Amino acid sequence: MAQIVGGFVAPHNPVMYFNPKGATQEQSDLCYGAYAEMAKRIAELEADSAIVIGCDHYILFGTECLPPYVISTGEIEGPVDQLPGLKRKPLKSHGALGEHIAKVGRETGFDWTVGRALNVDHSVAVPHHLMLEPTGKDIPIVAVMLACGVDPYLPMKRAWDLGEHIAEAVASFPSDERVVVIGSGGISHHVGDERMGEVNPEFDKKVLDIVTRGDKAAMLGLTDEEILRDGGNGAMEIRTYACAMAATRAAGGRVIAYEPVPGWVTGMGFAELEVAA
Amino acid sequence: MSRNVLEKVLYDLSTSGANKKKFAEDPDKYLSRYQLGAEERALITGYKVRELADMGVNTMLTWGFWLQAGKSNGDYLKLMKREEA
Repeated sequence: MAQIVGGFVAPHNPVMYFNPKGATQEQSDLCYGAYAEMAKRIAELEADSAIVIGCDHYILFGTECLPPYVISTGEIEGPVDQLPGLKRKPLKSHGALGEHIAKVGRETGFDWTVGRALNVDHSVAVPHHLMLEPTGKDIPIVAVMLACGVDPYLPMKRAWDLGEHIAEAVASFPSDERVVVIGSGGISHHVGDERMGEVNPEFDKKVLDIVTRGDKAAMLGLTDEEILRDGGNGAMEIRTYACAMAATRAAGGRVIAYEPVPGWVTGMGFAELEVAA
Repeated sequence: MSRNVLEKVLYDLSTSGANKKKFAEDPDKYLSRYQLGAEERALITGYKVRELADMGVNTMLTWGFWLQAGKSNGDYLKLMKREEA
């Protein structure tokens, strides 16, 4: 059966693309170096496929229908919000794995909204670009989109439960392939509000500490009020971290890099997740 | 006041070039398709992003709405901080 062999959390910051000079050269080198290290680790883990857990930025799903969690079961294309150097294109999809997870979910209490020809935004396309493409292996992906940017937000507990469900579903997928999961999101950042540009290293380090200790109770203890106050509306994306932590069975991990980059409006944190045996 | 329809307008404008073009050509005609009152229409045609955000409109949308019109990020932040733009 398939197995999850590694996990990562990383930002998907579009500002890196449209305002690269917003960061100092040292900050930029550190961040791009972290992405390169994660790509190297994905290659070393001999990953055959990846589950990229992203989130809509109110550009995929409109007021007509706001799904709490979505999974790709067929073709994937993106990003719909093209960026300099990151144009919209088909992304190699692992439809069979996505369909299997969705099917297991329907049988076990997770009624996935499915994207049979899913468009994704930069939250999937950036990690694909910077973490998967550099491996040179054309790794197929399953895209998962959590409601992190538009209310009603997916509760943190539900994001965690979803990660555990993903782990169980992958373990019953009839294949010997090796799967990595990527929780894609920024830590502190404010999108479009009056605090845009503020970052909070204290909050960022608290989150990274929780992630690398595999501390489920502390992760679920982060209330929306605290996240919005200390991390900003963009930090609601750490639901993707909770999902990735649970998918790797919260075995802890290590910080690869951290840098607060006000010029990129985000606390940029990168970590690798261990996988429980 | 309905933040739902206001968000729908801003979402439609941020995700469709055709809608942006129609809005730019004739804002009142474009907005007539939506269930909006005169005060709500004025918030949109006047790019009152601070007031829209105060009504609960998602700031991802207000920011995108402002930028798609070619307006500056600096002016947006001034408005959001209740400074003069």
